[in-house]
Parts: sequence; structure tokens; C-alpha cells
Amino acid sequence: MSDHENFTIILSFFFRTMDDTLIAQMEFLAEDELVEIVPNMRMDPINLICGDFGPFRPQIATQVPLWLAVALKKRGKCTIRPPEWMSVDKLTQVLEAERDTGRVFQPLPFHYVEISRLLFDHARDDIPDIYMVKSLIEDIKDVRFHKIGTGLETISGRTNAVKLSNLSAMEVNIVRPFLAGALQTFYKLHNPEMVPESERRGSRRPQGADRGARRTLKPR
Amino acid sequence: MAQYFDIDDILAEDELVPAVFKEAANGVGIFDSSDDTNRVEAGSKAELPFWLASELHLRQAVSINVPLVSIKSKLLIISDDFLMCCFSSVYMVFLNVRTREEIEADAAHVDLRKRCPYFYELGCKLAHLIDDRILSDKNIGPVLFVAFQTRYKDVLVKAHTSALSVTAKNLTLLTREETKLYETAQSSTAAFKKWKMGGPRFQKAYVLGRKRKPTE
Repeated sequence: MSDHENFTIILSFFFRTMDDTLIAQMEFLAEDELVEIVPNMRMDPINLICGDFGPFRPQIATQVPLWLAVALKKRGKCTIRPPEWMSVDKLTQVLEAERDTGRVFQPLPFHYVEISRLLFDHARDDIPDIYMVKSLIEDIKDVRFHKIGTGLETISGRTNAVKLSNLSAMEVNIVRPFLAGALQTFYKLHNPEMVPESERRGSRRPQGADRGARRTLKPR
Repeated sequence: MAQYFDIDDILAEDELVPAVFKEAANGVGIFDSSDDTNRVEAGSKAELPFWLASELHLRQAVSINVPLVSIKSKLLIISDDFLMCCFSSVYMVFLNVRTREEIEADAAHVDLRKRCPYFYELGCKLAHLIDDRILSDKNIGPVLFVAFQTRYKDVLVKAHTSALSVTAKNLTLLTREETKLYETAQSSTAAFKKWKMGGPRFQKAYVLGRKRKPTE
């Protein structure tokens, strides 16, 4: 009983509705990713807490965090080079692979949703074939969401943990409240006290050794 | 105890359960309004809130009993009385045979909210009081679990994919717990869509919105 309560208390911290600030936080964290820019001015190296960047010389590409790149771009001091995963070919490849494999998620940058949105907003002219890229990313997002949905349908009472590999930050944050709540309810309903003795003994090994099936959504 | 202050828990325990008094009780004539005396005789039926019924059950003063709602269950009551004298078998209004059959047929459309908005919580509590050895086909646990499993799939799909203004009729059938899950999924997808649209992301400070009353 006390074990069950502890579990409930711990889960209640995660069982929180998503609000706007949470998404804004994800975007904030995504802005730490490094991107390549091509400055068109000359500047000395800048020393920040997170690292030193520069020196900036015209037409020489450097790596800076995304927030810095967007800030420079807004002032017209650089052009942003889109990251290599953001080309039409690569994205088409990823989309095909997503559509073919039923349960596996393709490896994508953790913050691909946020990064792509930031770049679309601020660096429209730097991305070749922007409409194509945009629609490809939208499709990839939809396919992955659909996969998450179908995967979550198979959660049963014996699931202790759900493992979703290669999920991106935004997707994780969207399903997390729902998933935590659902798992909690399943756990509560499938408590050993609830399931009668006779059923348990027939189908399972003794309680200590049995953790239930590992419900991974990625086949091994 | 996390449950002591939980509003949902309190409300769940407030649901009425039918109980049979095993001993006479004084001063609680409110339960049995058939005569003027302020007492309840042994063997009389009453509907008590669950928190009261479970405490009295632990003191062996009541036995929670099955209400006579369908013919099938009537026969089982007769055999119940022979088999169990002081054990209690817990059959609630919302767990009668008809509800079970409905759940087995199509769990997604059973109107659980009308019967009992706290279906799952109350069922969990009742399962502690149930005695499984006597009637093994009336277990509450698997019924609850199976019902939740099938309804959960429905909730999952609808919550994430439906447009904001669509209110399916399934929503009115969900218990309190399921509605909570549904709302969390809805709010997260709504927040994501809003973020995707972009636009100004400034939030007005709460203090600015409040108008000062003119001092007169």
C-alpha cells in the first residue's frame, strides 16, 4: 500500500498539463544548438559563459549557437547555413524510412521541430527549396505522431515502462502528461491486490522475479 | 497520505453503496425512513456513502450487499447468504450483471459517468473488501481493467487528433479519471498548435489586467 502511494506521489509531479511556458522552454533549450553561419562583417571573438565564439571574418563560416545566429541574422550581419539534415534529399530519405518501418523512429536531431521553426521564421531566404523542406518536415512530424499513437495503443497492464527510441523533444513533451496519467491508471488497476489470486498464479511466475513484459516500441 | 486531501478521492468515497445492517443501530433513523423510531433494525437495507460503509464493514456492523436488479443476480444472492455469513461480497449498482455484459460487449460506449463518475477509483477501493474465493466469476478487478483498456484506446486516439471544437458524444461517457486524461492530451496538443502558429509570444502580466476601482 505504501509502495503504491509513493508511486502515485512521484507520478503526480509529472502528471502536469502542458502549458505554453513548457513549449517556450523547449524552444529556449533548442536555441543552444550549434549552427553554421557565414558572417558578412568583421568582429572580434566574443567570450560568453557558454563558450567563446569568433573571431568573425567575412565569408568565413563559424559555428555559433542558434540564438546568437538568429540575433545576428536579425541585424543583417550574417546568413545562416541550414544544418545538413535539413536538405531535401536527406529529409525525403528520412520520410521514406519513417513510412516504411512500422515501429522504429528514425534518428533525427533532438530539437528538429524547434530548430526548423526558428529557421523558417528568421532565415527564409537562406534555405533552398523552403516550401519543399517545410512540407517534408510537416509530413515527418505527422508520421511520427501517428506512430506514437499506434504504439501507445498496445500498452497493457503489465507495462512498467514505455521505451520510445529516437523521439524528439517536442513529441516527448506532448505525450508525456497523457502517458504518465495512463500508465498510472493502468498500474493502479492492475495492482496485485486487484487481480485475483487464482488468475495470477496460473499465468505468471512469482511476483519477485516478474517485472512484466518489456514493452518497447522499437523491435529488437 | 496523498489521498486524504485529494478532492477526487473524497468525492469518490462519497458515492452511495447499498448495505445491509447486520446489527441494530440507534440514532441513525435517517437511513430508514419507514417508521418514526430513530433506529435501524438488523437486516434492513440502506444506501450509505462508501466511507461510512467501509468503516462499519471493518467493524462487522454492516455487510455490503448486492442490490436486486436483475434476475440472474437474485439467484446468486440466495446462494450468497448460505455460503457467507459474515463475509461480505461487494456488488455495486454500477457493477451489476447488466453493466458487466455491456462492458464485455462494447466497453467504449458504456455510459460510465451516468452510473458512477468515479468508476475506477471506487472499484479499486471495493476490491479490497471483496472476497474472491467464493464467487470467482464476479471479480471486480479484471472487469475494471478490461473496461479501462478498451476505453483507453478510444480516448487516446480522440484526444490527440480531434479538432478543438469537436465534442464527441464519447466525452460524456467518460468517468472523471478518463476526462482528466483526455483534457491533458487536449491541452498539450492545443498548446503545441498555438506555438506552431507563432505570433507574439508576450504574456500580459496579471496585475495589469485588473482595473482599480475609482475611489469615491
